[in-house]
This record gives sequence, structure tokens and C-alpha cells, in this order.
Amino acid sequence: METILSQVKLPLKRSLQIAVQGIRIRLGRSLVTISGVALGIAFLMSNVSAQFIKAAIGKERELRQTVKLMETVVRSEVGDFAGKSLSVAVFGTLSGAERSLLERLAAAQLAALKLYGLNVPGAAPAALKGIGQDSHALLVLGNARKCPVALEHLADGLKQKVVIDSLSNRVFPAFVRQGRATALDPGSAAEDQVRREVFFSKATDEQIAKLSHAAEQDRFRTIWIVVISILVTVIGVSNALLMSVTERFREIGTMKCLGALSSFIRRLFLIESALIGFCGSVLGILAGGLLPVIVFGISFDFRSVLLQMNFGLLLASAAGTLVAGTLFAIGAAIYPANIAAGMVPASALRSNI
Amino acid sequence: MDNNSLTALFGDDSTAQKSGYVIRAVEVCKVFALGEHETHALRGATLDVRRGEYISIMGPSGSGKTTLFNMIGGLNKPTSGKVYIDQVDIAQLDPYELAWLRCRKVGYVFQSFNLIQVMSCIENVMLPMAFAGLSSEDAHDKARDILALVGLGDRALHKPAEMSGGQQQRVAIARALANSPDIILADEPTGNLDLKTGEEIIELFARLRDQLGVTIITATHDLKMLKRSDRIVWIEDGRITRVTTPDEMKIKIEEIH
Ligand SMILES: Nc1ncnc2c1ncn2[C@@H]1O[C@H](COP(=O)(O)OP(=O)(O)OP(=O)(O)O)[C@@H](O)[C@H]1O
Ligand SMILES: [Mg+2]
Repeated sequence: METILSQVKLPLKRSLQIAVQGIRIRLGRSLVTISGVALGIAFLMSNVSAQFIKAAIGKERELRQTVKLMETVVRSEVGDFAGKSLSVAVFGTLSGAERSLLERLAAAQLAALKLYGLNVPGAAPAALKGIGQDSHALLVLGNARKCPVALEHLADGLKQKVVIDSLSNRVFPAFVRQGRATALDPGSAAEDQVRREVFFSKATDEQIAKLSHAAEQDRFRTIWIVVISILVTVIGVSNALLMSVTERFREIGTMKCLGALSSFIRRLFLIESALIGFCGSVLGILAGGLLPVIVFGISFDFRSVLLQMNFGLLLASAAGTLVAGTLFAIGAAIYPANIAAGMVPASALRSNI
Repeated sequence: MDNNSLTALFGDDSTAQKSGYVIRAVEVCKVFALGEHETHALRGATLDVRRGEYISIMGPSGSGKTTLFNMIGGLNKPTSGKVYIDQVDIAQLDPYELAWLRCRKVGYVFQSFNLIQVMSCIENVMLPMAFAGLSSEDAHDKARDILALVGLGDRALHKPAEMSGGQQQRVAIARALANSPDIILADEPTGNLDLKTGEEIIELFARLRDQLGVTIITATHDLKMLKRSDRIVWIEDGRITRVTTPDEMKIKIEEIH
């Protein structure tokens, strides 16, 4: 008497092959499903990307404002730039605002700009000793905690009596007297005080509270937008995959009648969904990530937006979205794949979906 | 195609001449419940099929032929009654054995073909071979030979939608032969075929039966097919009302006309 044997379980590689073949032979339909996924992911990604760009633009705006104020302070201390020379000593590294300030100064109609310790386009680095000689003002910039050289030495020979020292956060208008450094006379005028505070971004408590409240609101809004986009994405992706499984119930029934194991059917759809989810996510991330950059870049300013972007975090969130998109796709397919796998072959054949 | 090539394609089945029942359906009932309404598709059908037998099943539309095929092919479970294949109660089989049965033991030709529309002809025929674990190269070669056998050698790459009903039917037949089954269950396999092609298919079935001992069960109204079969089973309203030989059948047909 003959016995009935057990069906072989196809190896994963073969299932993968069959899944890829399935995607290939219904390329048109697969592309529609992939675009469905891509659309959802692009929506999510563009919102995430827009948040990053908004942050970058906010930072850029803030920086521009700071630079403008710094320049105003310098102008108000020095007067008209024409024919004036400036000296700059940098200790430590420059902040973005300080760097922009230097770029602006280098571009201004100054007679001379002497720089110590930094390469700024258009200005040759000068020696530290006697850097203040014949200048109208001396700027001490950088993030060093303390000026390593006595200011008197730097300011030796200053024509005008201005030292702007960002290390100690002070403007010393009467620093130099009669061609040589003497005792300091910090911040005598009240109106200067305000300017200095702004120059060095020293916000008052009230300002800080206001800012942090705004930041709180902003963070809440960001989270809200991301949550909504995730929801929309999950629904969009699920719908695309649900359709692609349910419209094939008949086909699944046929495969079961021809000896496909339920586990194979399940695996086939999960692999297929994972592949579709992955491809769709890649496309969606590219589209959704780039579009806002282009739109904001054109309407604002490409270079500065790109400079201020937190690319590390953006890449990380793109990777996260890729993983999430693939998982959504698999997750969305689990339920219909289980139904498909569990169907009685004869009834699956009658399915008219 | 000569006898040797058929053997080459399907293997020389040494079990061919074995006696005994290959299929036994005992008091099979099937009730479809659609909400309040119940349809009794089968009301206690009993049928024994010997190995290598060629059986035709006749009955009016809705009498339960397809349902009976689904029961004895392991595609659906009877509401009551038992189905034995090779003396094994198929209700006792685990999913792996059932899948093996559907894949290797039985070849189905569905009434509505159930070809996979997105796949080409040859891919459709290769599908059951893939489930049987055949590599795609081997499957491809074998599928091409089988398609040639049903007269579709030149149509291998066409999609079902690009083919006539008769051609689709022959693809369905080719797919049923894919894993060299012991039993072929064919639901109206010549319904869409012209006289000549129909005869070729009948001839092919007869050869499979004669040379390889394949058991063939068809639902049919095709007189030529009825004539070639060993027994004709009459089914009416879910019951097997009569089992005749083709000779007795002739008388019956003449009575009707
Ligand atoms: N899945 C199902 N759900 C509900 N009723 C069904 C189902 N399958 C079959 N039936 C019913 O069972 C009866 C027998 O159907 P079956 O398909 O077996 O007939 P048949 O003899 O093959 O007819 P035909 O010659 O037209 O193909 C019919 O009344 C049909 O409505
Ligand atoms: Mg039928």
C-alpha cells in the first residue's frame, strides 16, 4: 500500500525567488502598491524633513540677527567703516555668528582687517604681537574661557579706544587712554549695556521663559505633526498591502490546491510586503526628504539652510523611517496573509474579490 | 508522442497494476450554510474507485459534481462521511500531508481553470513543480514538454488572457499533469475544446491510464469521453443514483432522445 508523504517545506531562498518573481510578473500592480507605500512614507518624511528645515531656518534667522547686532555694535563703536582698520584676535574656536561677523567685516569697506589665529577668506593672518597697532578697534573673539594674553598688550597702539571682548562679554569703549592701556572702565553707559547683552546673547529671565515656552509649543506641534503623519502613513501603507493581498485570494486558493503550504503562503506575502515596503520607503524617503529642502531652499537660501541642517539627525530619522516603513508593510500584511493562508482551498477558489 | 516519451515524462509507475481502491468516498455529505439558508450539495455520496480506473461523472448542473471532486481531492472537508485515498482517511492527515496529496497525488483540472492570470502559461505549469521542490530549471524543461503534450508547445509564454478558452483548458490540464499525479480529477476538461482537440485530450487521458495506471475521474457530458470510460457515475441532487458502463449508457441515451 502506498503511503502519503509530507510536503517539503520550501527553503527561504526559493520562497524569496518566488516572491521576487511575483513582484516582477505583476510589475504594474506592484508599482502601484509601491507608490502607495512611497506616498505614505513621503508624507511622513516630508513632515519630518520640514521640521528639520524649519529648525535650520530658525537657527539661521537667529544667527543672522545676532550677526547684524554684533555688526551694529562694532559700527556704533568705530563709526563709519570707510578708511578704518580693525584688528581681530581669536582664541579658541569661533561661533557661527562670530564667523559670519568676520565674513561680513572682511567684505566691508575697511582699510585693513588684521586677524590673528584664524583663516578668513580675503584676510591674511597677522602676528599676535602688536595686532592692535594703528587699528581703530580690537575685537577679541572665540570660545576660550579667558584671554591668554593681557588685553593691554593686544591693545597697544590702538588709535581709537575700543576693545570688544567676547571672551569676557564686554565692550570697553574707554579701554585705551592716550595710546597705552590703562585701567578698564567697563560698561558705563546704560544704553550700551542693552546693546552688549544682545550682542552676547545674554537673554533676561523673562526672555528665556518666553523662548522656552515657544520652544515647548513648537516641540508639541512637531510631535503632533509626526504622530498624525505616522497614522496617515500606517493607514496608507496598510491599505495598499491589504488590497494587494485580498485581490489575490483566488490565486492563493489556486496555489493551495496545487500543494502550497499555509506557511509558504504566509511567508510569500510577508516577504513580498517587506520588499514592497522597503522599496516604497526608499522612494518615499527620497521624495519626502528632498522636496522640502528644494522648496525651502528656493524660497529661503539653499546654502545657509544646508549649512544649518542637522544632517546626522536627519539621516538617522530617514533610517528610522525606512525601518518603520518596512515594518508597517509587514505588519499590515500579517492579518490578510494569515487569512489567506488559513483559507479552505475550495472556498478560496470561489472568492470573487 | 509515443509511449516511451510519456513514460519518460511521468516515470514508470510500478504501482500502476496494483489492485485495490485508490479512492473511497463513504456516505459523504456536504452542507453549505449561507446564513439561515442551507444547501445540501451532497447527501450521502458513496463511491469506490479502483486504481487505474477511468470514471466519468454525469449529472445536471448543480447536482454536486464539483463539490464531490473537492471532497475526494482533499480541497474541502465533508460535513459528514469519510474519504479514503490509498486507504488513508484524509481527515486524519496533517496539513503537510494534505499539501503533499494536493501537490503530488492528485492533479486537478478545475471547471473554471483557475489559471493564475498574471503568469504565463509555462509559469502556471511550473507552479506545482515549485511547490514539490523542483528547481526552476528542471521545472521549466518538464513544463515545456508537458505543454507540447497538450499541443501548446508554441504558446508557452502567453498569458491566459491572451488565449482561447480551449487553450486555457489545455494549460489547466498540463498543470494537472505537472507532478505526475496518480489521480487526475478533471471537472469538465473538454467543455471548451473543439472535436479534434477534445479527442486528443481524451486520448491523452486514456494513454495515461493505460500506460501509467493513472486513475482518471472526470465530470463530463462529452459522449466520446463517456464512451472511453470504464464506468459512468450518475449524480443527482447530491446523491449517486446509478453507476453504469458505457454500453448500458448508450441505451440510456437512446431512451432519452
Ligand atoms: N461554496 C459554496 N457555498 C454555497 N453553496 C455552494 C457552494 N459550492 C456549491 N454550492 C451549492 O452546492 C450545489 C452543488 O454545486 P456544484 O458546484 O457541486 O454543482 P455541479 O454539479 O458542479 O454543477 P455544474 O455542472 O453547474 O458545475 C449547488 O446548489 C451550489 O449552489
Ligand atoms: Mg461544477
